[in-house]
Amino acid sequence: MLSIIRFIARHSAYLYFLLFSGLSILIMQLQRKETLEAIRTNGMAANAAVSERLTGFGDIFSLRNENERLLLQNARLFSKVIREDTALRDARNLNDLIRRDSTRVGRIMLARIVDRRFSPLDNMLVINAGSRDGIEKDMAVLSPDGLVGRVTAVSENYARVMPVINKDFKVSVVSDSSSTLGVLAWKGGNDYMAHLENVPSSSRLKVGERLTTSDHSTFAVRGIPVGRVARISGSKLFSDVDVRLSVDFPSLSYVLVSASKPSREKLEIMNGGESAAPAKPALKRK
Amino acid sequence: MKKYPLYIVSMAVLAILQHFLFSRLVILGASPDLLAVFVAYVSVIIGQRTGIIFGFSAGLLAGFLSGDPGLAALVGTLEGFIAGFFHVSPESHPTMVKKRRMFYFGAATAIAAGNLLHTLLSNPLALPAWLRIPSVMVIGTASSLFFAVLAYQLALKKILKD
Repeated sequence: MLSIIRFIARHSAYLYFLLFSGLSILIMQLQRKETLEAIRTNGMAANAAVSERLTGFGDIFSLRNENERLLLQNARLFSKVIREDTALRDARNLNDLIRRDSTRVGRIMLARIVDRRFSPLDNMLVINAGSRDGIEKDMAVLSPDGLVGRVTAVSENYARVMPVINKDFKVSVVSDSSSTLGVLAWKGGNDYMAHLENVPSSSRLKVGERLTTSDHSTFAVRGIPVGRVARISGSKLFSDVDVRLSVDFPSLSYVLVSASKPSREKLEIMNGGESAAPAKPALKRK
Repeated sequence: MKKYPLYIVSMAVLAILQHFLFSRLVILGASPDLLAVFVAYVSVIIGQRTGIIFGFSAGLLAGFLSGDPGLAALVGTLEGFIAGFFHVSPESHPTMVKKRRMFYFGAATAIAAGNLLHTLLSNPLALPAWLRIPSVMVIGTASSLFFAVLAYQLALKKILKD
């Protein structure tokens, strides 16, 4: 008996191993039973909950890329909307469909506003895209809501944008239903109201009409939304028209730069150039 | 005896870290096993029986988190048992070099045996068996040993001196 006890004491580690291995195998067999299955399921549920949070934490880092991807997608959709909107208006006004070529917004580049100067008199934006990205002077700057401004200076990586709410900014616009032409300008004050100049009192312009850039613009293709007529007050020759701008400038953080501009030939003609049309080459007769 | 509560708390913390962090560092189907390093340490320093008990408990705890307590407990028990053969008795007044050597040998043998048992008993994964067993044996053991060295250099060395 003593020798058995001595044997067990000497080899107790082996007995421990056998005992706990047996227990483990028993648990493996019992894992199919309901109680252990419930513990197992709860463990899996807790594990899944923590894992989900850990995975969700990683998503934070991809938010910026996702945001930029959505903005680019928005830009593409916006360009499509402008094209189709203008085409619809052309058809309604029985204009020649060939003229639709001049409304192409073309390639649109996405840029982030890195600096801004807002004051009651003089506003300016700086965007993080420059000549390296294909930005040129006098390109139109948009947002999905409408016209933001025009590029006035370009460096290699940045560009300065003169927004609609700048005293020196002017753009030719046309109204949606009555096709009234005018020049949009900003006279300071509110950052959401501008003024429409050169509108004769006899025009059929109404409050609420939508204004878009016209063919007469020297930098923007036609069809870009600008705002809506907010108030019309009469005078002898010209109406005094207030326009509520479609872009919310204080909340603007990303903009789109439209690569296409009105044709150079058209601009030269508008500026009074006489040699705008390229000279025809002399025909060779064989 | 005074250190047992510390060991138990460490075991719980390591089980959580192992499950939610280190088990995600998978290379060719193998990942480092911090609990195995811990069990090996307990077994080498305290003794084989204690190592078996801690191995079983640590495996059970990790198994409840992963959903397979039986297999994890069996693997832990085996690791405690194997590492126990490298137990350094305090009566022999071992040097630090001997303690370190025995800890590394114990950990390597126990982890390799645990990996082999786990791979043989668990369900086959993506890799075929002829590739899975050697890859788990080599990569799993090597990565776990890396953490064993790290643990020794950062904390265990100081504890062993005390």
